Amino acid sequence: MEEEVSAPVCNGEIPEDAVIRLEEATKVYSLPFGDVVALDSVCISVMPGEFIAIMGPSGSGKSTLLNLIGSLDVPTSGDLYIDGRDTRTLSDDELTELRRDRIGFIFQQFNLIPLLTVLENVEYPMILKSRQAVKGNSRARDLLLKVGLTEQMLAHKPKELSGGQQQRVAIARALINDPAILLCDEPTGNLDQATGRLIMDMLSEVNRRGKTVIMVTHDADVAAYASRTITIVDGKVA
Amino acid sequence: MIFFEIAKRNIRLNLLRSFLAAAGIVIGVVAISSMGMLGSSLTLSVTDSLSTVGDSVIIVPVVGQPGQNMVTTESLITGRQLQQIVRVVAPNEAVPIYAGADRIEIGPDKAVAALYGIRPDQIPLMVDIAEGIVPRSTSGALAGATLADEYDLKTGSRVKVGNETVRITGILEEQGMGFDINPDNALIVSERWYSTTYDQDNYDQVIVKVRDINDIDAVKLAVERTLNRRDDEVTVYDTRMILEMIVETFNQISVFTTAIGGISLVVAGVSIFNVQMMSVTERIKEIGIIRSIGTKRFEVMRMFLYEAFILGLIGSGIGGILSFAGGYIAISIMLQDTSYLFNPETLFYIPYGMGIGLLVTIVSGLYPAWKAANLNPIEALRFE
Ligand SMILES: Nc1ncnc2c1ncn2[C@@H]1O[C@H](COP(=O)(O)OP(=O)(O)O)[C@@H](O)[C@H]1O
Ligand SMILES: [Mg+2]
Repeated sequence: MEEEVSAPVCNGEIPEDAVIRLEEATKVYSLPFGDVVALDSVCISVMPGEFIAIMGPSGSGKSTLLNLIGSLDVPTSGDLYIDGRDTRTLSDDELTELRRDRIGFIFQQFNLIPLLTVLENVEYPMILKSRQAVKGNSRARDLLLKVGLTEQMLAHKPKELSGGQQQRVAIARALINDPAILLCDEPTGNLDQATGRLIMDMLSEVNRRGKTVIMVTHDADVAAYASRTITIVDGKVA
Repeated sequence: MIFFEIAKRNIRLNLLRSFLAAAGIVIGVVAISSMGMLGSSLTLSVTDSLSTVGDSVIIVPVVGQPGQNMVTTESLITGRQLQQIVRVVAPNEAVPIYAGADRIEIGPDKAVAALYGIRPDQIPLMVDIAEGIVPRSTSGALAGATLADEYDLKTGSRVKVGNETVRITGILEEQGMGFDINPDNALIVSERWYSTTYDQDNYDQVIVKVRDINDIDAVKLAVERTLNRRDDEVTVYDTRMILEMIVETFNQISVFTTAIGGISLVVAGVSIFNVQMMSVTERIKEIGIIRSIGTKRFEVMRMFLYEAFILGLIGSGIGGILSFAGGYIAISIMLQDTSYLFNPETLFYIPYGMGIGLLVTIVSGLYPAWKAANLNPIEALRFE
C-alpha cells in the first residue's frame, strides 16, 4: 500500500503537543572545501517542562542543534516547530521576536553586553519587547536580587563581577521576558565546581517552576540534573 | 532610548578616535561654510559697488581695426555713425561722450584727472548732482565726488586743466564703479569745451539709455545691424549682460571654493566610515549577543547610525560655530569689510555647511551599520 512505501516522518514518534519538534532536521554548512553535515536528519521532541541535557563529543553538532532550537538558524532541510510554529516559514524579524519573547539564552561565556551595567543588561530584552524605557520598573532589580546579587552590584559593569556572578546576571536576563524555553550552552563550562553547582541548582529551580530547559554539557555530574539526556554523535542522535 | 545610550557610551569609550573623526567633520564644515560665506560676501560686495543698473547700451569703436578708415591709431565714433545710432535707437536717447585725461592744477596742487565731455542737457542722464548745477557756459565743469573731496573743491572753485581754466559749477554724487563712465575721480565738462580744447570731432563712446529694460536686446541688435553691416565698426555691450557676467563669475568662484570645502568633507566622510567600520569589527561578538537575545536587524542598524549621527552632530555643531569665526577672518582678510557677513545670504552658508556635514556623516555610517545588521548571528557569536 501507499503508506508503507513512504514511511511516516520520524516513524510518527513526534507528538503534536511537544514544545519543540525537530522532524528529520538536517543542517549543512557550505564551506569552500566542501559541505559539512553538522546535523543529519535528526528527530527530537521536547515536551513542555522537560529538563534535557544534550551530550556528545566535541564537534558532534550540539551547538548547532541548540542554535536551531534557539531559532538563530533554520534547518537546511526537514522541519523545526517551536511552540507550534514552523520556523522555516518565519522571516528574520519573526525569528528574532521568537528569540526575544519565547526563548532565554545562557552561554558558557556569559555574553553580557559590556557597555551596559548589570541592571541595564537585564532590562535590555524587556526594553526590546516593550519598545520603551523601563525606568522605575522593579522587575529586573527583583530578579537580580533573587538570583543572589546585591543592590550595589547593579550599577557595575559586567567585567567587574566574578564569573559566577556574571552567569547569575545572564540567568536573570534570560528570564526577564518570562520565556517558555531556556537554552543553555555549557552554562557551567567556565565556572569552578562549587559555583557550577549553585548555577545548576538555580536552573533546576527555574525548571521546577515550569520552564522547559535544554542544556548542552560535557559533564556527567551536570547532566545528572536533567530528567532526560540526548546524546549526539556525528550529527545524529545516538 | 537604549540604542542611543549604547551608541553614546561606545563613543565615550573610544573618545580620542571619535574626537579625531568628528574633527574631520569640523574641518569640512568650516571649509565649506566659510568658503561659501566668502564667496557670497564677495558677490554681494561686487554687485553693491557697481553703480550701473542694467539700463545702458554702450557702443565703442572696434580697437585696432585693420582697414582704410583707420585714420589715427585710435578709432573713434564719427558724427555720421552717431547720426545713424540716434536714428535707430529713437525714442531712446543716445549720449555721445568724449573721454580722456589731463593734468589738472588746483591752487598749488597738481594731479591727473579723467575728463568726460558730455552735452550739458544730457549730463543729468549720466550722473547725479549733489550740489550746484549743470554748467551753463562752455568753461563750466562738474567735479566727481572723490576728486572734490580730495582737493576740497566747491561750487565756484577754479581748476586749471591743461592750459585752460574751468570753473566748478557743481559736485557729483558718489557713483561707484561703472561700465560706462567712472565719474568719481573725474571732471565732467561740456562737449563743446572738450572738442575745442583737444581738437577732437569724433566720439570715444556712445551710451544709449534704454527706457524700457526689455528693449535692450532690440536696441543692441538695431545698432549692430546698422553699423556692422559690412565691417565690424563698433562693439556693443549692454550693462545688464556685463553685470550678469560678473555675478556669474563670482558665483563660479563660490562654487569652486565650496567644492574645495566639499573635498575636505569627503575626506571627513572617509574617516567616519573608517571609525564606524572599526566600531563594527571590534564589536562583532557584541552584535552576535544582542542579535541572539532578540535585537532585530534594523535595531542594530539604528544603533550604529546613532553613533555616526552623534559624531556628525558634534562635528557639525563645533564646525558651525567655528565657521562663523572662519568666515569672519576670511572675509576681513579678503574684503577688509565684514558687514556682508551679517547678510542672510551669507549666514545661510552656516546651516548649509552643517547640514551637509551631518548628511556626509550619516551616509558614511550607512554601510558599516548595514554590515553590522546583516552579520550572521551565529558566526558573530562564535567570533573571538
Ligand atoms: N558556522 C559554521 N560554519 C561552518 N561549519 C560549522 C559552523 N558551525 C559549526 N560548524 C561545524 O559543524 C560541526 C558541528 O559543530 P558544533 O555544533 O559547534 O559542535 P559541538 O558544539 O558539538 O562541538 C563541526 O564540524 C563544526 O566545525
Ligand atoms: Mg559547542
